[in-house]
Amino acid sequence: MLPRSIVLIVVCVAFCWPVAAGADEPKTADEVIAKYIEAIGGRAKLDSVKSLRMTGKATGMGGMEVPLAVEFKRPKKVRVEFTVQGMTGVQAFDGTTGWFIMPFMGKNDPEKMPPDMVEAIEDQGNFEGPLVDYKKKGHKVELVGKEDFEGSEVYKLKVTKKNGNVEYHFLDAEYYIPLQMKGKRSFQGTEVEMTTIFGDYKEVDGLLLAHSIKQGGMAGDMTFEKIELDVKLSDDRFTMPEVKKDEPASTDKAKPGPDDAKDAKAPEKDEG
Amino acid sequence: MKFSTSTFTMFLAVATLGSVRTAAADVKIDSYIFGGIEARAIGPATMGGRISSMDVVRTDRLTIYVGAASGGIWKSVNGGTTFKSIFDDYNQSIGALTVDRSNTDVVWVGTGEPWTRNSISVGDGVYKTTDGGENWEHLGLENSEHVSKIVIDPTDGETVYVCVTGHLWDSNEERGVFKTTDGGKSWKKILYVDEDTGCGDLAMDPQEPDILYAGMWQFRRWPHFFKSGGPGSGLHKTTDGGKTWRRITQGLPEGELGRIAIAVAPSRPSVVYATVESEKTGLYRSNDLGETWRWVGSTGAVEGRPFYFSLLLVDPTDFNRVYKPGGSTSVSNDGGQTFSGLGGGTHADHHAFWIDPDNPDFLLVGTDGGLYSSYDRGVHWNFLQALPISQFYQVSFDMEDPYNVYGGLQDNGTWMGPSQTPSGVQNKHWDNIGFGDGFHAHVDRQDSDIVYVEWQGGRILRMRKSTGEAKDIKPLPEEGDPEYRFNWNTPIHLSPNRTDTLYVGGQFLFRSRDRGESWEKISPDVTTDDPAKQRQIESGGLTPDNSTAENHCTIYTISESPLSENVIWVGTDDGNLQVTRDGGQTWENVVDRVPDLPACTWVTQVEASRHQQGTAYVTFDGHRTGDMKPHVYKTADYGATWTSLVTDKIEGYCLSVCEDLVSPDLLFLGTEFGLYISIDGGVQWARFKEKLPKVGVRAMAIHPREHDLIIATHGRGIYIIDDITPLRHLTPEVIESDAALLPTRPSRMRIPANVQEFPGNDEFVGGNPPPGAQIVYYLKKRHLFGDLKVEVYDEQDRLVSRLPGARRRGLNRVNWFMREKPPKVPPAASLVPQMYSMLGPLVPEGTYKVKLIKGGKTYEGNIEAVMDPRADYTHGGRALQDKTVMQLYRMVERLTYTVDALLDVKKQGEDRAGKLDEGSDVHASLKSFVGELEAFRKTLVATRKGGFLAGEEQLREKVVGLYGAVNGYEGAPTDSQVRYANVLEGRLEQAEARLDTWLSSLGVLNAKLEAAGAQPIKRMSKEDWEEKQRGK
Repeated sequence: MLPRSIVLIVVCVAFCWPVAAGADEPKTADEVIAKYIEAIGGRAKLDSVKSLRMTGKATGMGGMEVPLAVEFKRPKKVRVEFTVQGMTGVQAFDGTTGWFIMPFMGKNDPEKMPPDMVEAIEDQGNFEGPLVDYKKKGHKVELVGKEDFEGSEVYKLKVTKKNGNVEYHFLDAEYYIPLQMKGKRSFQGTEVEMTTIFGDYKEVDGLLLAHSIKQGGMAGDMTFEKIELDVKLSDDRFTMPEVKKDEPASTDKAKPGPDDAKDAKAPEKDEG
Repeated sequence: MKFSTSTFTMFLAVATLGSVRTAAADVKIDSYIFGGIEARAIGPATMGGRISSMDVVRTDRLTIYVGAASGGIWKSVNGGTTFKSIFDDYNQSIGALTVDRSNTDVVWVGTGEPWTRNSISVGDGVYKTTDGGENWEHLGLENSEHVSKIVIDPTDGETVYVCVTGHLWDSNEERGVFKTTDGGKSWKKILYVDEDTGCGDLAMDPQEPDILYAGMWQFRRWPHFFKSGGPGSGLHKTTDGGKTWRRITQGLPEGELGRIAIAVAPSRPSVVYATVESEKTGLYRSNDLGETWRWVGSTGAVEGRPFYFSLLLVDPTDFNRVYKPGGSTSVSNDGGQTFSGLGGGTHADHHAFWIDPDNPDFLLVGTDGGLYSSYDRGVHWNFLQALPISQFYQVSFDMEDPYNVYGGLQDNGTWMGPSQTPSGVQNKHWDNIGFGDGFHAHVDRQDSDIVYVEWQGGRILRMRKSTGEAKDIKPLPEEGDPEYRFNWNTPIHLSPNRTDTLYVGGQFLFRSRDRGESWEKISPDVTTDDPAKQRQIESGGLTPDNSTAENHCTIYTISESPLSENVIWVGTDDGNLQVTRDGGQTWENVVDRVPDLPACTWVTQVEASRHQQGTAYVTFDGHRTGDMKPHVYKTADYGATWTSLVTDKIEGYCLSVCEDLVSPDLLFLGTEFGLYISIDGGVQWARFKEKLPKVGVRAMAIHPREHDLIIATHGRGIYIIDDITPLRHLTPEVIESDAALLPTRPSRMRIPANVQEFPGNDEFVGGNPPPGAQIVYYLKKRHLFGDLKVEVYDEQDRLVSRLPGARRRGLNRVNWFMREKPPKVPPAASLVPQMYSMLGPLVPEGTYKVKLIKGGKTYEGNIEAVMDPRADYTHGGRALQDKTVMQLYRMVERLTYTVDALLDVKKQGEDRAGKLDEGSDVHASLKSFVGELEAFRKTLVATRKGGFLAGEEQLREKVVGLYGAVNGYEGAPTDSQVRYANVLEGRLEQAEARLDTWLSSLGVLNAKLEAAGAQPIKRMSKEDWEEKQRGK
């Protein structure tokens, strides 16, 4: 009913600042990325963000609406939740282990992700995307040139990831906002293409964030009504729970924990 | 619920169109104004189109590159199970395709197929990819037009030889053998004979890459004639990488030669084979590196049509096993002395062939009808059915629902297929209704079981679809008449005014009013009747070739004015354009009044206007005499004066033109390189790019009920642009505005049909129209900052749906599924396995207000939701369905509240218990309270592990399941369903009452809690719950 592919709701968060570029046109990938980082509002602001939560919904076939929450915590923790018919699926990564709970078919136990999926979710754990500090992350970036994307002029950056995967990032040539990301992932040794389109950029506490993310396939259109920075997220939200043998299937293990996050305005101190 | 059919007429009010074009020239039109309106391909791939070239990388999974004659490049990375087109933005005619063995991510492509038949396209030079086809670089030789082969030095990937066949229809100097030693940055012409002779084949010694053999070929096509052979033809050899060449003659036939194919035996390169077209066409063999030759044998596949089949291969391990692809493939096991045919089962006309070097039993062959593989050396074949590269000549439609598309193809007969099906348009949905080469096909307007089809040279047939019988109804000469001449692609035209009238064009125009039982000649010879252009019997050059492809001085296009049956236009292949205004009694040739048009330019289409009687649009195509320029004209006075509609935005010679049914300013133009649209009567044009490759658009039709543009491509099958209504309203004013909602056709609430099938992945499946209603709006600029929302309101101004918007520049299309939000379902052990339980109920028929909210501004428009006209629901049945589905919808949500409230209270109990002393009385009370709640919950929702197969059905599963069942059928629910809904509602009431009673007696427990210093347990109110749902 709900194929596993929906689990891989891949969310790439893009940070930008709505300042039109000056006359000095970047000539290299590093210059484009510098403009992009500059546009973020400064490295300091970006670095100060320790965690983030996005709440919204995915709209699918037949007008099906799937409530969705995505949480990130540095250094590279991520948790995605989505709810269908009152049941909440989870996929998460704690920096080492990827796992998921798919309760839809009567099995409520957490399972470890296969390596293909871990690779994909690990990628997302890095929430500022691969362009920031790409050298430190072991990626290579090349400015392919300027081209048209759906009628907008964009810079096309080719990112060769540390693991060899290639992605193309298309940044608006006027505002340096990512408009599209096209990449390939390896699935069982075969490359599978994926395209992500970003939109509805809005400022959240000094950062400009995409509130609309469109992907092909089951994930459909994702709209985020709320994005919060520096929410308090305990580490065990990202850690794979232990399987309890005798628990009834319907105990809703997947539900978010106590609503403890909203009041925590201050950035966490324990992450470096 | 209202059930109205009058709404069908919505949005057809177009009185204001056409009066607002004054500002047209000031508003710049480009391809991006069409934005997200996409064409969808419906195939078919049940028969391929012509495959002209192929190469394969032998890796752990076979990587196959297929170059189609006019359908681009397709790549498979799984041995041919699936293919992806990787060349859509470039020239679609592929001549040569070679993978660099030293770096298999590098692929070289020469555009312009080398199999020089009458219907062939033209290329624009050489391309290279260095990343397996993701990105392409054009490397020049743009004036080469046709390329037969590319050979890469196995020791140095930067050194590449290109066998440039050159122009087919005129002389040119950019032909011969070209070499690069810097990966294509620069080229040197290393072998050249003259401006009429090109390179027909090129072969490299597999061990000594400086030894190459080139078959030079003198050839030419005219609109009416083909000639292969001449003094320029010959076999040449170099041993120094092309610095010097020698012409080899010893042992080869004397006199003029034609096309030559060459193959060096990989296992013994001193053995070289060649087929040589000549007075003594045959297979020639050299045992001394091509120095001396002898005739060894011949067979039909060696002699037949060398211009079309000039490919020769030697088995990788056996130098005496020679393959000669042709009409079919012949193989010799004795070095060419005797031949036998390979197994049957493939389409005829083999142009591309691959033998697995590691396993010579494994073969691939590319034919006029697609790609096949064999695991047993060609005795049996598999058809690879994932390549939608069919080459249509014409297209039409019927009025079935959904409508069918009809058309004829190069060498693949005539086919009909549905415009949509519940599971997409698959190969199995296409039906063959004619053989040979197919062209026009039209369904009789009085009897939809009858379809007029044809095969090459004017063989007109009247087919009965239900039985398959066909009657030959070709017009035949009367006493005293000359022989009738019919074009390869003979026009059949149905009168738009009279359902009984049918036209066929020869050199005369024929009219029938009795389905072809009798024909009336209603024109004199309207062609030039030039005897010099009627020599098809002598066509072919060294090898006679008269397939009717060179029939000339014939009518090629016919159009009766939709406004008067007396106004009829015809255009001829030899450049006459004639019009009658009295039903054929008198004719006037108006071509001389067309300005700036070379004489005798082929008329590809004349289209009489639907909006003004003297108006017509004409496309001319001069490519067969070397004139590659676009020619499209309009007259408004029966041809007395003409205006060229050509702009510098149009690329490619013109093949077809189509005027919109509603807006006279909306025009469609098909060229060899794609589809062009004008929204201002032809002042400006822009190429339509979305999902439609740069492929030849041979014919178009607009479906009058669905308002779809149906596009016949010669190389990529049929495409449909669903609902062109928004294009009719894309006025200069709209284009100048920041944003605007545009009208669409009435949105049909299509009857859902369910199909269960498990077809695997090895077949192309054509897309269906986008689901639901289409909300279409225009944005002047891409929307970047802040929300962009689309909201739908009903007639009471209630918000029904809020949709994520699309935000690209130009037109945007957003699907609205015409359903309410799905109900909230209580959590349980598994999903309810019922598709329609996941969806909200369908909205009632009627007009819906659409708001586009962008930044601070709101734009408004309407959507008209109409029931599928095929539905047989009664008003009463619809009303009962609405009532019952909403009853169940509310029941689902009531149950969800009940379960959520229970879970909330239970959680509070568990929390309190966790903080209290385990031995206390209050702890024991809490435990017992929680236990009872859980026991009650188990009667409300399924809780057993194991999913649907646990087979557990509690109240949730029953209510949600019934909701889904009633929601899945829009007519009256069954009596049983209606009664059961009431039964379940009774049980729900009981459950609600039980929880109410229970929770109203919390006082005792809460008193104990308060005494123990704990917070009392509080029930979540319905209002709080609803508030929480809204927040989600």
